[in-house]
Amino acid sequence: MRSALLLAFAALLPGQALAADQIALDNSVFVERVKTDAAGKQRILLEEPKVVVPGDKLVFVLNYRNAGARAADRFVITNPLPAAVRFADAGDTQPLVSVDGGHAWGRLADLTITLADGTRRAAQPADVTHIRWAFQKPIPAGASGKLMFRGIVK
Amino acid sequence: MTSKLTYMGSIGLAAITCVTATPALAAGTTAGSSITNTATVDFQVGGVSQTQQSASDSFVVDRKIDLTVEEDGTATTEVVPGQSNAVTTFLLTNNSNEVLDFALAATQITGGTAKHLGTDSFNATNVRIYRDNAVTGTVGSFDPGDALVTYADEVPVDTPVRLFVVADIPGGLATGAVAGIQLRATAREGGTASSQGAAVSQTSGANTAGKDTVFADIAGVNDGARDAAHSAADDYTVKTATLTVTKTSRVVDDPLNGASNPKLIPGATVEYCIAIANAAGGAAATSVAISDSVPGQLTFVAGSIKLNGTVTGSTCNADGGAGGSYAAPVVSGTIATIAAGQTRTLVFQTKVN
Repeated sequence: MRSALLLAFAALLPGQALAADQIALDNSVFVERVKTDAAGKQRILLEEPKVVVPGDKLVFVLNYRNAGARAADRFVITNPLPAAVRFADAGDTQPLVSVDGGHAWGRLADLTITLADGTRRAAQPADVTHIRWAFQKPIPAGASGKLMFRGIVK
Repeated sequence: MTSKLTYMGSIGLAAITCVTATPALAAGTTAGSSITNTATVDFQVGGVSQTQQSASDSFVVDRKIDLTVEEDGTATTEVVPGQSNAVTTFLLTNNSNEVLDFALAATQITGGTAKHLGTDSFNATNVRIYRDNAVTGTVGSFDPGDALVTYADEVPVDTPVRLFVVADIPGGLATGAVAGIQLRATAREGGTASSQGAAVSQTSGANTAGKDTVFADIAGVNDGARDAAHSAADDYTVKTATLTVTKTSRVVDDPLNGASNPKLIPGATVEYCIAIANAAGGAAATSVAISDSVPGQLTFVAGSIKLNGTVTGSTCNADGGAGGSYAAPVVSGTIATIAAGQTRTLVFQTKVN
């Protein structure tokens, strides 16, 4: 429990242990577990991915920091989804997603999948192959932030 | 811990709502495979594109041991006393994320309530386990092409394997006798075909970064939860024919009174009716052979046999069709089928010497 807390805070401290490059990016993953304590209360823990089996919920956390001296513009973070992970959601980080291997991008609600018989259906989270966050405004020097999304081990 | 969630939510990065997990794939990603997530950043500084940055994180998927054993079908197996190779069918599904062997054990319960609510009252004999040959023979049914096994070898993930528990039924059992059968499968290491792998053990102590083993199975009829085993029950129920024989006779006519109040005097005709009743609730009796010796004081009337007749209440209707034979002094006949709850007769006439 304590270790999980510490982990969570580690994830919340942007820029920690990031390389001193122009842009520092750090990628970490946690397993989200629901545990019921003695009082019957459900608690959600984020743990290091040591015991991971199919069906486990994962939280991917991306920390970025502009370590350079000048603002970074046209800032785009792209994260292809690992083949063994099914996308679930991205919280309220509002990413663009691709359901065709990174060719077309859009909001999940706007994308469709072409079926074998030529008809189209609305894209589902499970169809997502890539996630992308494209920032409208420059990232000032020294600024940092964090993005996340959730997935499930297939 | 809720505070952490709130904290994450407050910086606008995590929704408070839990991931609504669609049902996890039963087997899923193979144990030991590594999942690597890579994110890249493209950006410009002062209008000039800079070198792409990337960051990766990877972890190993552990081994989840999960299996189910279930009865195939929802009904008891009806058997007759003395039957050989009575079959109950089970399905074994490997829900783990790795190919495994499974040790198999078929056991019988002693007393108590069997799967289909009957009370266990006898034990079958010569209990064996066969694995359905999914390629040749009658797939899904027990046939000579199925292999006698003590373990299920190299069971693929997510593909049910049909197992037949085959047993012999002792003779002399009454309709309604029940034998409860249980089949338990226990995970063993896979990987080597045609030999049973070692026992699987759960990784104890601290987690490791490598492939750990986690038991995820539920409790069965004779095993506990998370013990790498699962079990299910089925039963045999005896359904047999219970025959009762009743023999009646009446004087049909005599030489003096004819058919009107005939008396049993020499020369009188006596009609015998042998009624075979099959008790309700059992099985049909087939090839019911009846034989009866004609007493020495009587003479068989040639051509008088009527076979497969009926009764009304306890009264013999003296009907039926041709059949049967007479080989002095025995009258005999065979009735092809007497259904449960039916009574059929053999009728013949004799004359008093």
